[in-house]
Amino acid sequence: MSVIVTHHLTKVFPGGVRAVDGIDFEVNAGEIFGFLGPNGAGKTTTIKMLNTLIEPTSGTAVVAGFDICKNPAEVRKRIGYVAQDVGVDERATGRENLTLYGHFYRLDSKTIKKRVKEIFELVDLAGYEDKIVSTYSGGMRKRLDIAMGLIHRPEVIFLDEPTAGLDPQTRVRIWDYIRNLAKAMGVTIFLTTHYMEEADHLADRIAIIDLGKIITMGTPDELKQSISGDVVTLSLLTAEDDDHNELMRRTESALSAEPFVIGTQAVGDKLAVYVDNGESAVPSIMRLLAGQGIEVETISMARPSLDDVFLKYTGRTIRAEEGTATTFAQIRRKRIRRQQ
Amino acid sequence: MNLVADTWFQIQRHIRTQFRMPVWIFVNLFQPIVWLVLFTQVFKSLSDMPGLGGTSYLQFFAPGVVVMTVMFGSAWAGMGMLHDIDMGILSKMLATPATRGSIIMSRVIASMVMLIVQALIIFTIAVIMGVDLATGVPGVLLTILLVSMLGLGFAAFSNGLALLLRREEPLIGVITFATLPIMFLSSTMMPADLLPGWLDTVRHFNPVDYAVVGVRGLVMDGYIWSDLWRSLVVLFGWAALGTAFGTMMFRAKAE
Repeated sequence: MSVIVTHHLTKVFPGGVRAVDGIDFEVNAGEIFGFLGPNGAGKTTTIKMLNTLIEPTSGTAVVAGFDICKNPAEVRKRIGYVAQDVGVDERATGRENLTLYGHFYRLDSKTIKKRVKEIFELVDLAGYEDKIVSTYSGGMRKRLDIAMGLIHRPEVIFLDEPTAGLDPQTRVRIWDYIRNLAKAMGVTIFLTTHYMEEADHLADRIAIIDLGKIITMGTPDELKQSISGDVVTLSLLTAEDDDHNELMRRTESALSAEPFVIGTQAVGDKLAVYVDNGESAVPSIMRLLAGQGIEVETISMARPSLDDVFLKYTGRTIRAEEGTATTFAQIRRKRIRRQQ
Repeated sequence: MNLVADTWFQIQRHIRTQFRMPVWIFVNLFQPIVWLVLFTQVFKSLSDMPGLGGTSYLQFFAPGVVVMTVMFGSAWAGMGMLHDIDMGILSKMLATPATRGSIIMSRVIASMVMLIVQALIIFTIAVIMGVDLATGVPGVLLTILLVSMLGLGFAAFSNGLALLLRREEPLIGVITFATLPIMFLSSTMMPADLLPGWLDTVRHFNPVDYAVVGVRGLVMDGYIWSDLWRSLVVLFGWAALGTAFGTMMFRAKAE
């Protein structure tokens, strides 16, 4: 059974930007569906349409059995929305935050009280119910944020970039909570992310979206298997007075010219080289670089990851765009906090 | 029914929030007291001027302080809405079945409740300082009605502007830019007889002036029903206008 079905869902913003360009997909009951794409790909716009926060320009979707255009009120009763920004009231306690939402979903006070207890245990915040949220850590706030989307036991919960801006340790813990939710509550989860590992770890199925269009869809394994070939990762030996960047550039241009190389990509201070056949490519690369006077320090070969899947389908790397967005969001959040 | 319930639960949230900021409470209670004491000292010699008819400046100015407090307080009401927009609280709420109208209504009403308490405190202090209330307690109740309408209009406009402008800097700019002239383009500080002709004309387009005239009449002269009715009608109109603007912006801009 499908919990979400979209029909050519499209959003064109004033000025003609086609943020979401006629997408079709289905999300099955009980699954974790990952919507993976770089910033500006149309993920948040899609989630906002499915949440009835903005209306599609054309096309529509059925969420939890109701059409988002014709029956937004019924949709809202059956969904939970956890936005990218932690939408909790920092000047209220956890219980107050959750109770207000319980009232919004027309639960009676007794039920709210019971569910608050349950949910705080589920997201491991028991004991913090009556503490003011501004004393919570970032990870605790995110957990409360997720909890607020669960108080009415929705059929589907939307998580927009659930771990953006969190440190790696907290991120892994949030993943655990999300996986627990899916299991404990049987809730369908629609999540957007621009972190490959997140989609890989959490999602049963993934749709890769770029420039408003779904490029490919499948289980993480299916997607990885869709790329033929291997990825060879090498690091270069740099003499002290050598310019490392310059050397990387030279290496990249030398390799790109070879017919057996599909593409190259700098990953930190290493270089990933995509090739048809890793076993024969390694000696060729070594020979070629030796001829150019470039010394290789380490070399390894692996099957492609989701990063490589993304690179193949979009011609770009998702990582390049990661840093700036997070930083801006953090600056803004800090600024807001300072003013309180 | 849902609208009333949702509004009620959110009013609780807004008022609770304000009471958790002791500094805010302190400043808001003491500011009008400072005005009462300071301004009456600065303008003490005005008591001798003809427009005041021999009454003390305090007696003349106290109604103005009530109106000013309400106007300034409610003009900043939009900052709370902006906070909710910035923190993602608003969009999260909009994805719930919460009634749309309750989100803006609860903010406006919560501002009103706080301002009514302030107005009552100012009256109490003014009486202690020697102000003679010509109409007594019923007059104070009528005053509350008048300034509530004034404040409701300003609070709704302010919330609407917050939704329209979406950022602190322009909102702060607009509020600062608008409030002082609005106050001075009225008979809040000066008796109408002493204002230059053009200003005496302009003040008739200023809701603040209608509030001041109404409240001052009640404090100084008793029930002058012709003035009171005019003030009530104009201020109801102002409140309706503000609410219409606020609601329109909410529908258009609260994504």
